[in-house]
Amino acid sequence: MRKFTPYLILATALLALAIDLLPNLSLPASGTAGGTRPIETKLGLDLRGGLRVEYQVQPVDGVSATAADLATIRDIIERRVNSTGVSEPLVQTQGTDRIVVELPGVTNPDSIRALLGTTGRLDLVPLPREVYGFFNTATGQPTDGVKPVPGEGETLSDTTLKPLFSGDQIESSAVQIDETGRRVVSFKLKSEGSELFATWTKANIGSYFAIVLDGAVKSAPYIQSAITGGEAQISGPGAAGFAVDEAANLVTILKFGSLPFPIAEIGVTDVRATLGASFLGQALFAGAVGILLVFLFMLLHYRLAGAVASVALVFYVIIVLAIFRLVPVTLTLAGIAGFVLSIGMAVDANILIFERTKEELRIGKGIVPAVEAGFSRAWNSILDSNVSSLITAFILFYFGSSTIKGFALVLIIGVLCSLFTAVTVTRLILRSVIARKRFSSPYLYGVAKGDLDTLDRGVING
Amino acid sequence: MDKIIARKRWFFLFSLLITIPGLFFTLATPFSGGSIGLKFSIDYTGGTIWEFRPESPADPLVVQAAVASAGHEEATVTEAGTGFLIVRTKPLDLQLGQDQIDNAGAELQAIREAVVAAIGPIAEEGSVSTVGPVISQDLTQQALLLVVLGSIGILLWMTYRFRNLRFGLAALAALLHDVIVTVGFFAIAGTVAGIEIDALFVTAMLTIIGFSVHDTIVVFDRIRENLVRHAGAPFGDIVNHSIVQTLGRSFNTTATVLITLLTLLVFAGGSIRTFVLTLFVGILSGTYSSIFNASPLLVWWEERAQARKAAAARTRTA
Repeated sequence: MRKFTPYLILATALLALAIDLLPNLSLPASGTAGGTRPIETKLGLDLRGGLRVEYQVQPVDGVSATAADLATIRDIIERRVNSTGVSEPLVQTQGTDRIVVELPGVTNPDSIRALLGTTGRLDLVPLPREVYGFFNTATGQPTDGVKPVPGEGETLSDTTLKPLFSGDQIESSAVQIDETGRRVVSFKLKSEGSELFATWTKANIGSYFAIVLDGAVKSAPYIQSAITGGEAQISGPGAAGFAVDEAANLVTILKFGSLPFPIAEIGVTDVRATLGASFLGQALFAGAVGILLVFLFMLLHYRLAGAVASVALVFYVIIVLAIFRLVPVTLTLAGIAGFVLSIGMAVDANILIFERTKEELRIGKGIVPAVEAGFSRAWNSILDSNVSSLITAFILFYFGSSTIKGFALVLIIGVLCSLFTAVTVTRLILRSVIARKRFSSPYLYGVAKGDLDTLDRGVING
Repeated sequence: MDKIIARKRWFFLFSLLITIPGLFFTLATPFSGGSIGLKFSIDYTGGTIWEFRPESPADPLVVQAAVASAGHEEATVTEAGTGFLIVRTKPLDLQLGQDQIDNAGAELQAIREAVVAAIGPIAEEGSVSTVGPVISQDLTQQALLLVVLGSIGILLWMTYRFRNLRFGLAALAALLHDVIVTVGFFAIAGTVAGIEIDALFVTAMLTIIGFSVHDTIVVFDRIRENLVRHAGAPFGDIVNHSIVQTLGRSFNTTATVLITLLTLLVFAGGSIRTFVLTLFVGILSGTYSSIFNASPLLVWWEERAQARKAAAARTRTA
């Protein structure tokens, strides 16, 4: 088995290097849809810019959304997102009542937020003649009721009003320009709604009815004639009707249906792409400087062994980056900080091993047994230390929010890989190095010249 | 070097001296109405942060007055370096599901217009971040839960690996020391320099808890080895010897980590500066507590147990 280890490690490194550097690689996509998914370094929104919104699903009349409702809401939001043409959107449920939407590279965050956050419940509410009056089509004169007809933006305070039908009866809708040049949203009803509408309009010519979106009146026209074709339209406020964005949003909402429960924004972050790019550059530069300084530190302290550890550290970086691309791990600024930190931690196992080796050399052991003892005796501490890091990283991963999860994942991958590179890879290279006579001087492993002949000078000898 | 254990009381005293002021500032946080103690970012308090760079440099106070004139007297404006200004207000524009669909961003737009009217056009928009009260509540509860879980996890692991509750408890004491020192540091830094802690603070705390026991483990491991090798020697001597033997690696493992953190602190900007500073303080404290608190605590404990045993023996013979 041991004979194959070098080849195995070399193959791993080459494979990792290929994953790191070759463009246009892809993996079979997970999930049932099939297809492939490109292998690429995924950057979080804080580094590439974009909009992130966290929603909380609101209970209605004390009833909370079930897991199935949450999934329905996610699907509807996803369809709304897709209709905007944003590339690589991410819509996820989180916990029992959260939905997180991440949209890279968005330039019109306000309009998209309006589209996603709207419940989209459309009601057609007849307004009774006795209360709201009617429009006498014969005389062309309105007759006032006891209450004024509600205007655009008002809410219907009268709880006895019941909708004739709701948005689920809408089959299709489109943006149109009506005869007066206003931008309106027209819709066509399904057969059931169409019949209800026809029957009611036939019997109530002149009555007012309100088109209500999420509790707010959009318009309240009167019935001019019986509407039998199942087609109607909503006119927006003002002389020009709806704004372009608003009309398009409304059509999208009507098309994909209303959310079964309203959702409320509880957190919104919008990062400009340029800002993210400069943070990324700084963090990468810091990482590079960090690695070089760690190299220098190891070379100064442990000389030849330090050089071996540096090679292992290069392995570490290559492999970890490849895993980031494979999983894929979405790198945020905190994640990159975690990676740079993990570089400092990755050599810790080497330090423990080399210090132990130095001790063994000082008490007069030969280089080969000293190095072997260094590995075997330091192992307990290395394992225990890494497990404690893993314990806290797993706690972060399971209980943390998504940013924290990303950092924890970086740390977990880092710790596991460093166990492999700092122990297995270092040992392999070091074994072949110490087999050569000219590399057998303890000085090359960091033992001070003056220490070479003296034994352990502690309180208790060796 | 021979007298680390003999001087353990001095090291305990030093730990007290560095934890008490921080603890005072930390505990003062809820009573001082925000003037003393930890400064929480909008992640915890809820609010909106808007970053932008005006075309011509502007006085934050002028901007603050402009924002106040737009109806946000609670706003504060600070400089972020590289010409950016940071405006903090209460949460803006959160859509609560019942809103109409056409008013998203209206509140911020009103503020933006007021600012432009006061100081001229905006050259570059940075980021806008809004946190509502719900997320804030979550985070505070989560923070405490995570630190408690992390501590329990380490306690159990150390007790299991060293088959000795005292080793576990000594490691726990050392890591709580690090948590208190780090929180205290930011309570003072928040009071003096206005440094805010954000959602990543807890992440840093857990990372510190996981890392600060590394050095403790190395010393404990050596103590266990030396207990076998020098069976019969006084416990205090064995512990002292173990600390001295492992001192080099404790310093070096910490040094490599601090080197990487320093490069991040110097070169990387943005939201992670506080995060990296937190890790730096905690890991520094972790090395101190591993060497000068955790192992001496074991000795203190052992000596007390022996004194009690001796006293019990005396009463039996009497």
